[in-house]
Amino acid sequence: MAARGRHRYLAERRGFLATLLISPAVLFIGLLVGAPLGLAIYLSFTDATAGSLSGKWLGLGNYRAALHDQIFRDALWHTVLFTVISQAVVIVCAGLLAHALVRRFRGRWLLRFLVLLPWAAPIALTAIGFLWFYDPQASIFTWFLVHLHLVDRSNAPNWLGTPHAAMSSIITVQAWRVLPFATVIFLAGISSIPQEVDDAAAIDGATGLKKFWYVSLPLQLPIAIVAILFGIVFTATDMVVPYILTNGGPFNSTQVLTTYAFQTGINAGNIGEGAAVALFMLPLLVVVTIGMLFFARRAEVT
Amino acid sequence: MTGRWRHHAFAYAVAVPFAIVLAFPFFWMAVTSFKPEAQVYDPTKVWTFHPTLANYGFLFHHTGYLRWLRNSTFVGIMVVLITLAVAIPAGYALARLSGRVGRSLGVAIFLTYLVPPTLLFLPLSRVVSKLGLSDRLWALILVYPSFTIPFAIWLLMGFFKAIPQELEDAALVDGCSRLGALVRIVLPVSLPGIITVVIFTFSLVINEFVYAITFISSSTNRTVTVGVPTDLIRGDLFNWPGIMAAILIPSIPLALVYNAFLNRFITGFTGGAFR
Amino acid sequence: MPDTTDQPATEQSGSTGTRISRRELLRKAGAGAVALGVAGSTAPFSFAGPLRYKGRWLKGDLSIIQWVHFVPAYDDWFDNTWVKQWGQANDVQVNVEHINNTLLDTRAAAEVAAQSGHDLFFNLHPMASYEDQVINHASIINEVQRKVGKYGALAKLSTYNTKTKKYFAISDNYVPDPVVWRHDLWNAVGESPATWDHVAKAAPKLKASGHPIGIGQSQELDSNMALIAFLMCFGSFIQDEHNRPTLQSKNTVEAVKFMASLYKSGEDAGIFGWNPASNNNYIYSGTGSMILNAISATRTPEAQHLPFSDNLWIWPIPAGPKGRLGLEHVMGCYSIWKFAKNKENAEKFLADLCIHGKDATVASQLYNFPSFPDAFPFKSIRKLAAEDKNKPNGKYTILTTIAEKYTHNIGYPGTTNAAIDEIFSKYLIPQMFAQVSQGKLSAQDSVRDTMSVVKGIYSKWRKRGKI
Repeated sequence: MAARGRHRYLAERRGFLATLLISPAVLFIGLLVGAPLGLAIYLSFTDATAGSLSGKWLGLGNYRAALHDQIFRDALWHTVLFTVISQAVVIVCAGLLAHALVRRFRGRWLLRFLVLLPWAAPIALTAIGFLWFYDPQASIFTWFLVHLHLVDRSNAPNWLGTPHAAMSSIITVQAWRVLPFATVIFLAGISSIPQEVDDAAAIDGATGLKKFWYVSLPLQLPIAIVAILFGIVFTATDMVVPYILTNGGPFNSTQVLTTYAFQTGINAGNIGEGAAVALFMLPLLVVVTIGMLFFARRAEVT
Repeated sequence: MTGRWRHHAFAYAVAVPFAIVLAFPFFWMAVTSFKPEAQVYDPTKVWTFHPTLANYGFLFHHTGYLRWLRNSTFVGIMVVLITLAVAIPAGYALARLSGRVGRSLGVAIFLTYLVPPTLLFLPLSRVVSKLGLSDRLWALILVYPSFTIPFAIWLLMGFFKAIPQELEDAALVDGCSRLGALVRIVLPVSLPGIITVVIFTFSLVINEFVYAITFISSSTNRTVTVGVPTDLIRGDLFNWPGIMAAILIPSIPLALVYNAFLNRFITGFTGGAFR
Repeated sequence: MPDTTDQPATEQSGSTGTRISRRELLRKAGAGAVALGVAGSTAPFSFAGPLRYKGRWLKGDLSIIQWVHFVPAYDDWFDNTWVKQWGQANDVQVNVEHINNTLLDTRAAAEVAAQSGHDLFFNLHPMASYEDQVINHASIINEVQRKVGKYGALAKLSTYNTKTKKYFAISDNYVPDPVVWRHDLWNAVGESPATWDHVAKAAPKLKASGHPIGIGQSQELDSNMALIAFLMCFGSFIQDEHNRPTLQSKNTVEAVKFMASLYKSGEDAGIFGWNPASNNNYIYSGTGSMILNAISATRTPEAQHLPFSDNLWIWPIPAGPKGRLGLEHVMGCYSIWKFAKNKENAEKFLADLCIHGKDATVASQLYNFPSFPDAFPFKSIRKLAAEDKNKPNGKYTILTTIAEKYTHNIGYPGTTNAAIDEIFSKYLIPQMFAQVSQGKLSAQDSVRDTMSVVKGIYSKWRKRGKI
């Protein structure tokens, strides 16, 4: 009797305490993300201009206009391309690199330091730095290519000036910058595989590739999925790299949704349209996020 | 013996090229930062030139660079403190006290990252101005936790879940309150997790650009990401050596710090942070 | 970090300066106009700039935000001489902030969203779409006109909305846009950029000699300016004098075709990925033989003593089949927000700045030209330019000819309105050219596609009653 009473008391107290502990976080996020998000959603249904936070109601007008806008449709496609390719590169490279760095060897500390640099540097500044590395006149990459006799001065790659090259350039920079972050998370995942599993695999005769495929990969999947998800979300919602490197690129061939939203909403003063463009990806991203998180939970091997 | 050699050969064969590719831009940044500005476009002086410290001198004496670094660091530290203060209780609550509700809240928290700040800054500037924080670093300190807290909660949830319930139960039986158990038992054990949160939060803060440019205008209050494009890019003239120096100076110490804590971070994840 | 303690305000003359309580300061200054620049993070005090008015308590406030001028000497004059003197003469504490010009649009949007910000907002293009957020600047213009004569036609077309009859900004200066070319390289191929036909003839030869010309077709300011001016030389205009879109025309197609063949025969593929600094760097590296740019492209080589700086000549834009028409490179415009806290001070400051246009021109080394032309008549500017010591002697005098005869506003012959602003911000014109130059679309298709987008933009702003 008394035990049950005490349990109930604990349970109530639990709920109360939980709410208390969570409320500051909920308050913060609600006020500083939820409310502005709500306002942005509202703005996307209006014709607000020039920084003003209200406008005439347009219903789905902005969204419809966006779908008819060739630049928008291209931007949508570019966003998908940019995100998928850069993150695919990141996953493969991070996986490889993490497996290499998890072993102990001489010089590992130095190599890790070098690998971490792109993540430690502020991206807004390194993007400007890449403007210099890709400079039409003085690109150091071109210099190497020319001096290795791989290309001629006259047909040197136009890093930021032709659609394909420009897209490759921004994908490269984005992958370069996310790679250390993903590697670190993968490293943690690999390290979390308990020793017993390793030993059991060895006993069963699974080594090298077989071990990787049947043992390591499934165990790392939950963390890998999370790393992938973060990479995707950060890339799809971030405008720094395309904005600074190409500003939408040779005739809008590297325009992504975030840069186009900025150009429309801020530079051209069409806040409502810009909001619609920015929020377009939101439903898709929500679905992708929930889907991947579910999959990650399912894939957990206990 | 050969097994171990193959073991290491793989590691070197993969890690070295990656390290070169990832770090080469920084090497080139360093080279450029020592070049006299007038020779930066000289194709005959790509590698052979008289190195100079003039660009660093310019950075330190003729721009507000040191002040911007200080501002960035100050904002970073404050945001880390706020994030920890809010995320630790929330993460603990979600990990221990809420069961299934906690898990879906965890997903919901993640969804806050799906909103691009490219337009969020507009309504937020109204908030900031109403609070009288325009052009003050406190505006950033207030707003940044909105995107550091979700990630922190999510990380901490994982770390807390990995700590065996028995440890706390033992403390509770001894008469400790729940909060006391949190502070005295859970926190010390999850130190690697907390370090992880500190590192990730700081890196998120340093990378932020949009809010920094919209809420702050006076040069004394600028952070590094805003000060550099403003003072080192004059109309259509880029001070490349200065910019390179400006990037290197915070990056190297930060990478060293991250590297130093990396082992701790990794061992913290061990134990199934994401279970 | 310790915060300021609340101390009562005391006035002290002499060198120790004044101490005021922070609460009082904030009450006075309001969120936007930080009078003495009390920084949020450091204590007890820090100042946004040099302590200008030691020992003097000034009654009024004024906050200004503007770009980091390309010519450092101008900012030096503005911040340390002009503002200081004006402030002392008018008993106003002036606070000037400089940010990179590409960030001005963002700040404008943020200040409007916040409904608080700087009293005077500067931008390099007239912010037509912000018309509803700013006051009518007519009174300032009238005031200045009384003292120094009429507001220039160029400036009026740029800052006046004929539909709403409102001056949504005041331009204090504009920058003429010459063509900057390497006289030695062009001589070597026996040509000069007098007309676009001459340019077309010279371009392949120049490219063969390793020094192509560089007219950008990228999503940036210089490309926008160069290409819109180029269109005008071919008789193609984005709108007519009634602000109706007229982009689609035979002249436009011809112009686009001309530029495409000019690119193929004489330009480098790099021109599609340029940023505003790229064409300057093209010249500075010694490679480029011609660009369209303000005199920043000649001043920097002079300052850095580059070997060919004496061979950089300045001419008006080459003439096309329908004439010689150019644009201003940038239009310096100030606007006063409706929610500004110190409107009167702002108005007076602007008026005085325009009246003293001569000082600004001199301080900027002839970069800025006054929008009220009589503030510094062309004859006098020419005399000053003739004194410039850089070779060839007198090369800067042509700027007055360019300013007088060949400089028009974007949107000429109509006004610079919100639709033009949007077309400009979305880089529709460089896109129209680049698609054809890179062989992605035919000239007709490209022009037609762009025209349909343009028509949509015009109807949108017409519905909002702004055109």
